[in-house]
Amino acid sequence: MSSPFSINGGACVAMVGKDCVAIGCDLRLGNQALTISNTFPKIFNYGQTYLGLTGLATDVLTVSDLFRYKVNMYRLREERDIEPETMANLVSSSLYEKRFGPYFVSPVIAGLNSRTGKPFICGFDSIGCIDFAKDFIVSGTASDQLFGTCESFWEPDLGPEELFETISQSLLNSVDRDALSGWGAEVYVITKDGVTKRLLKGRQD
Amino acid sequence: MAHGIMDGTDGWGTGGCLSRLSDSGREVLLGITGKDFTIIAASKAAVRGITILKAEDDKTRALNQHTLMAYSGEAGDTVQFAEYIQANVALYGMRTNLTQELSPPAVANFVRNQLATSLRSRNAKHVNLLIGGFDPVKKTPHLYWMDYLAAKAEVPYAAHGYAAYYCLSILDKHHHPDIDLEKGKELLKMCIGELRHRMPIEFKGMRVKVVSAEGITELEEF
Amino acid sequence: MDTIIAKYSTNAFEEEEEYNAATASKPTTDLSFSLPPISQPSSFLRSVTDDAANPDVPIKIAHGTTTLAFRFQGGIIVATDSRATAGNWIASQTVKKVIEINDKMLGTMAGGAADCQFWLGYLGMECRLHELRHKRRITVAAASKILSNIVYSYKGMGISMGSMIAGVTPLEGPALYYVDSDGTRLQGDLFCVGSGQSFAYGVLDAEYKYDLSVEDALALGSRSILAATHRDAYSGGYINLYHVKEEGWVKHGFSDTHPIFWDTKIKKGEFSNVNTTIVGEKAEKS
Repeated sequence: MSSPFSINGGACVAMVGKDCVAIGCDLRLGNQALTISNTFPKIFNYGQTYLGLTGLATDVLTVSDLFRYKVNMYRLREERDIEPETMANLVSSSLYEKRFGPYFVSPVIAGLNSRTGKPFICGFDSIGCIDFAKDFIVSGTASDQLFGTCESFWEPDLGPEELFETISQSLLNSVDRDALSGWGAEVYVITKDGVTKRLLKGRQD
Repeated sequence: MAHGIMDGTDGWGTGGCLSRLSDSGREVLLGITGKDFTIIAASKAAVRGITILKAEDDKTRALNQHTLMAYSGEAGDTVQFAEYIQANVALYGMRTNLTQELSPPAVANFVRNQLATSLRSRNAKHVNLLIGGFDPVKKTPHLYWMDYLAAKAEVPYAAHGYAAYYCLSILDKHHHPDIDLEKGKELLKMCIGELRHRMPIEFKGMRVKVVSAEGITELEEF
Repeated sequence: MDTIIAKYSTNAFEEEEEYNAATASKPTTDLSFSLPPISQPSSFLRSVTDDAANPDVPIKIAHGTTTLAFRFQGGIIVATDSRATAGNWIASQTVKKVIEINDKMLGTMAGGAADCQFWLGYLGMECRLHELRHKRRITVAAASKILSNIVYSYKGMGISMGSMIAGVTPLEGPALYYVDSDGTRLQGDLFCVGSGQSFAYGVLDAEYKYDLSVEDALALGSRSILAATHRDAYSGGYINLYHVKEEGWVKHGFSDTHPIFWDTKIKKGEFSNVNTTIVGEKAEKS
């Protein structure tokens, strides 16, 4: 397991609903087979935009710190929060800046456009290729499993509560089939009225 | 998703990495937090190849009055990095004219940043760390686990090297967040006992230090 | 007098061992495995199955396990997890890693799933044949030696197996042997085998005593497996628990670790590393 993407383990998923989006991640930090911590969230918020990062743990921390700095600078210059679409382009160009020595992360973005209220999700490879999607985005060591569960559970125009149930079941059932992710999960549901963050009780093996 | 382009790329060269890891894996680092303290313990053996060069080594450095860092890893890198951090935490204090020292979380973030920067430089420092501290303002203990890749996690108890495989399950069972120092020492003795019993490596005992509101003190009983 | 008896009884015991070692080298059934038509079948096999060296191997053999067994005043406790992994993929959470050789003997499986299942099954057959030939039950010593001799004869061919044979016989009382595919065979009081072995040893060593009550021994065996499933990514699923007594073995359930973990955490306050609330917030639990 010498790939930098699967040393620490971890999974992340984002989904679109009707006038809402959801993003969830597991909580494991491991060193190959050894679980080091069960409190390692992989979702970070930048105003109303949420960024999920899976892959090499050191880069998850470095990249999340880097975007905190960049988004704060953006906010100071523009005197407004960054929109998810803008964030997507910022992430893409920042990753491609490291084309020949990349950050070993697979980012996922979820948010609502503050002007139009339109749900937005997207994913990236480690060097900044954007993957726009109308339904869901998956990343991490359980991504194969997540593709399977999301393909079968997701449907268009889910309300916030249905979307929460869908993303939670997809995430929990995926990480239960991956040795390197799980040990609890966090899910955010984002609507125009606010954001709810929930801790999921997952299997601890 | 198109990370096909990265296939086959291994930024570290697995072979070299594994052999260096197995050497530092023999070193024991343990950390336990309690109600109002953090214990940091490090094995006393300084091993090079097949020889124990020193049996009274101290693999820790105090970063300020209430933060202690224990290290293991590549010979040379460890002490160089620890003393660089030690000096720069002091320098940071002087420059910003702090009336209060940096809190343990702040020190840990600073250390991570330095190690992460080093990781992507020409000669990366191969150092695994435990940072133990006590926040004298908020009255809370802190313990950070950090590996040579600069992955950081705050944990109630931690271990590095092969010792982690024996001690973490013991601590999972017997640790509680509100234990007093006596219970903390007892837990540490259980862990060391298990290592002596099962680990086929002589580590020459442990140097044990406690960080509390009063500062850093060494425990002589170990 | 005592020394003479002692000498005599060990002799008889060893004779049987020697005898079985001899018969086992001649397999009762025809075991000719087909080999790939190349000069070095074993190194070829290693190159396509060793997922530790190369995660992209074409054949991923299921492995990763925690198993334990220990002798105590009331007999022997045998406990295992139930996870099978192929790389990072969890292939199964309901594997039975304890094989019931007969009603007084058990074997545990760690390593290559197919190797263990096949050879322990084969050992069961050999043990039954021994019973028919000699009109008495085989000793644990002899049974473990049959297994050891078989896997040793395939040494270097890529068999991967770490097993414990536990049982009671009139001759030996409760006996426990460790056998692995290197050819190691050890008699002992306490063994843990598999990728999660060290985690199990940690918990087990701390509270193991020969005088443990049956209830405490079962609880300790179960708790040691739980510890390993929590920290080792390649162990998990269900706890399979057995108690080997004079009268034979008794099964004490095949229980999901999920409710056991949360029970242990909430009722006993253990696993303080796992949070039940989002740090600094009041969280809902689903």
